[in-house]
Amino acid sequence: MSISVATHPDRPRSGPPLWRRLHLNPPLVAGAVLLTVLLLSAIAAPLLATAGPMDIDLRAVRQAPSAAHWFGTDAVGRDLFSRVLYGGQVSLLVAGLGMMGSLSFGTLMGMLGAFGANWVRPIIDRAIDIQLAFPYVLLAIAITSAVKPSTPVLVLLMVLAAWAGAARVVRAIALQERGKDYVKAADVLGVSRLRIALLHVFPTVLPSLMVLAAMQMAAMIVFEATLSFLGMGVQPPTPSWGGIMLDGKNYITSSWWLTALPGLAIVLTSLSLVLIGDGLQARTDALRSREGDQ
Amino acid sequence: MARQNVLSVENVSVSFPGNSGDLIVVDDVSFTLAAGESLVIAGESGSGKSMICQSLLGILPPQAKVSGTRIDWLGRDLLQAGDKDWRTIRGAEIAMIFQDPTAALNPLITVEHQIGDAIRDHRKCSRAEARARTIEVLGMAGFPEPEHRMKSYPSELSGGLRQRVAIALALSCGPKLIIADEATTNLDVSIQAQIVTLLKKLQQDLGLALIFVTHDLGLAAQVGDNLLVMYAGHAVEQGGVRQVLDDPCHPYTRGLLRSAPTLQSSRANPLRPIPGQAPKPGSIGKGSPFRSRCPVVVDGVCEVMRAPWTNVAPGHDVACHRFARDGREGVQ
Amino acid sequence: MTGVLEARDIVKTFAVTRDGKTSRVAAVNHVSLAVEPGEIVGLVGESGCGKTTISRIMIGIESADSGTVLYRGQPVVSRADWRALRREVQYVFQDPFTALCPTMRIGAALAEPLIIHRIGAPSERADRVAKMLEMVGLHPDVARRLPNQLSGGQRQRVNLARALMLEPRILICDEIVSGLDVSIQAQVLQLLIDLQEKLGLSLIFISHDLRVVRYLASRVLVMYGGEIVEQGASEAVFDDPQHAYTRTLLAAIPDHSRVPAPAHNLGA
Repeated sequence: MSISVATHPDRPRSGPPLWRRLHLNPPLVAGAVLLTVLLLSAIAAPLLATAGPMDIDLRAVRQAPSAAHWFGTDAVGRDLFSRVLYGGQVSLLVAGLGMMGSLSFGTLMGMLGAFGANWVRPIIDRAIDIQLAFPYVLLAIAITSAVKPSTPVLVLLMVLAAWAGAARVVRAIALQERGKDYVKAADVLGVSRLRIALLHVFPTVLPSLMVLAAMQMAAMIVFEATLSFLGMGVQPPTPSWGGIMLDGKNYITSSWWLTALPGLAIVLTSLSLVLIGDGLQARTDALRSREGDQ
Repeated sequence: MARQNVLSVENVSVSFPGNSGDLIVVDDVSFTLAAGESLVIAGESGSGKSMICQSLLGILPPQAKVSGTRIDWLGRDLLQAGDKDWRTIRGAEIAMIFQDPTAALNPLITVEHQIGDAIRDHRKCSRAEARARTIEVLGMAGFPEPEHRMKSYPSELSGGLRQRVAIALALSCGPKLIIADEATTNLDVSIQAQIVTLLKKLQQDLGLALIFVTHDLGLAAQVGDNLLVMYAGHAVEQGGVRQVLDDPCHPYTRGLLRSAPTLQSSRANPLRPIPGQAPKPGSIGKGSPFRSRCPVVVDGVCEVMRAPWTNVAPGHDVACHRFARDGREGVQ
Repeated sequence: MTGVLEARDIVKTFAVTRDGKTSRVAAVNHVSLAVEPGEIVGLVGESGCGKTTISRIMIGIESADSGTVLYRGQPVVSRADWRALRREVQYVFQDPFTALCPTMRIGAALAEPLIIHRIGAPSERADRVAKMLEMVGLHPDVARRLPNQLSGGQRQRVNLARALMLEPRILICDEIVSGLDVSIQAQVLQLLIDLQEKLGLSLIFISHDLRVVRYLASRVLVMYGGEIVEQGASEAVFDDPQHAYTRTLLAAIPDHSRVPAPAHNLGA
């Protein structure tokens, strides 16, 4: 026996408070707050920065964090705090584009893998398998050796590296839904396969896609940092978190702040996104299990 | 019945905390059960029939609140039972058979070990003794070739055989009361008939008390000595099975019987559905739970208070204002 | 045997792997069945007897290994044939919890067949949906809800309403009342009878509950192990069953109008 929590069918639902209707949970709120702070500080970099990100001051080289330079300065005397703020703009933008690109392409491929014509599906299956087996750093080296590294190339690299993960998740959910009676019922009613995929099945994939978006974004932040650190990402003098760490690499033993503080920014951003992902997952699970009760 | 009561449930209620106050899912239910006697609790979904059974085993969800005067089980009050008491009661004194045997059995453990472990949990005995007892209870449950087939995993058995394993598991520690909660609902009719016959036979041979929960009045007629009809968390009518089915006195019982097709029903004598839907828990208030669907409401009475029990015949009682006022003619 | 919708000599096998050996098991073995205009045919049998499979073959959700489905005497073969058949034959699924898209509002789900088949002006569609909801005994407000805000009985009515949106002449119902409470079940049975009487709808009504089939159907077919073992007018089959399996099935039906035999006479 289940305890029904649905409201009476003949009366419109009377409104519980907004936060309850959104089914928020602590990790989700914590992650969202942290991410908002990070995003706002990146956006407001021109207002918050204590110096220009590319202002060289050779009188103050590799100074430790102090009241004048909160995060210290780098090898040519640029203010690290300002560079991390401006670097956030670049890193978050590039990671966001990479995430959206890989998710969109992955979703398209995943839906095709579940609803495509009979000859399309095995091709997509194989493509996903191959992509997942291929180390992305190798891919990055291969591509950046052929084309000059630039921000668009970096985003393209991200999409290539990450679409398969999204495609696999979307395909699995869509295939599972496709076997359900409501899809057969739509088929019997004459609904086309495209319409079934878009209007019936895709909305059921969305909650998982939101979880995936947060996780993917975290992975993209790290990916950008990795590639920039390897010199294949955002090109100097434009600051990005990975690029700043690359600059500080040679002084890692003497000037810890040059690598540790941009690293901290990366860790905090990933943490906020992982929290959001976990929170969204818990929220989806809670909503689904409540559905099952009725 | 001069036999001694083993179980006596007195004014028990079960509620869950809700957004706006507690949701009462079982409201002030009482019944007794004697050794060797069977009681059918019949009702539709949401009637609270499973909840009352779970309260007898202390297996309600943790947020549930049970209150009442007393649940007397062989002189002990189950309302006061702690974890330690439950461990000696569950399985050894009161056992339960669930609707879905697949969920009640561990898929990774063979039938033999599943029952053997349960036996050794409750009493100290050697593996050989446990094995002998396993074969014995499987035999009692009508499980074919127990020595040989008890090496199977649950997934290798049909639904009917799995339910027999669940019955053997329930019997393994020699309980005095077995609760079967919709135990035959998912089975095919011919298997269902076999399982029902088996439960009746075990009850008679072993002198067990049996509580059989069902939504099917046809099954109720086959299984029970006594029948308790529940609606929206309330007991509305109780008595001997034939007494209640042949002379239903609560408008709900009557409506239920007129909605349920039998092998005799035909369109010349149409079914008469009960209009509307069962009320949601928490929306009943103080009045009669059935008033929103009742064709013979007593105006100004059914809305404001619960009906007291009225005696229809020896051992047959009904909780209905209309019956209390006008007798059988009133509820026709 | 001819009828409006007819399945002729249908065979369907499934591959079964046991102990490493794959063999084919016939789920439906040379089954023929037909439904006349305005008739309710009951198809009874226990789980795994092939009753759902044959019904799904008749609407083209599953395909037969051999045999023909005929509609108005014409074999249904091409995609276009099936599309034409589905304008007039509809199917109501067993499980009301999986047969509705969880993210689609009831109103949208009911209007969809009208949109697809370009029936009625867009402005009329909401009206038609409301009328259909009323016909199956639901409040028109239900159109605004999502499936998880409805009870099992309400969902089953929505399923039925959706199948009726195209005004089919034949409805195939797969165990549509078995999950419902008795009082709700009686409401749905009454609705089906009303539809048959008012719209002249034909029904293929699949159920394991012989009591329900007896009440509803004028003709009944008993399936066992993928084959039809007995068929005939309901009274004849129920009152004077010829096949041993039908007799076993009837004897097993729990029936409150019948005083049971003592347990020791039935044998465990």
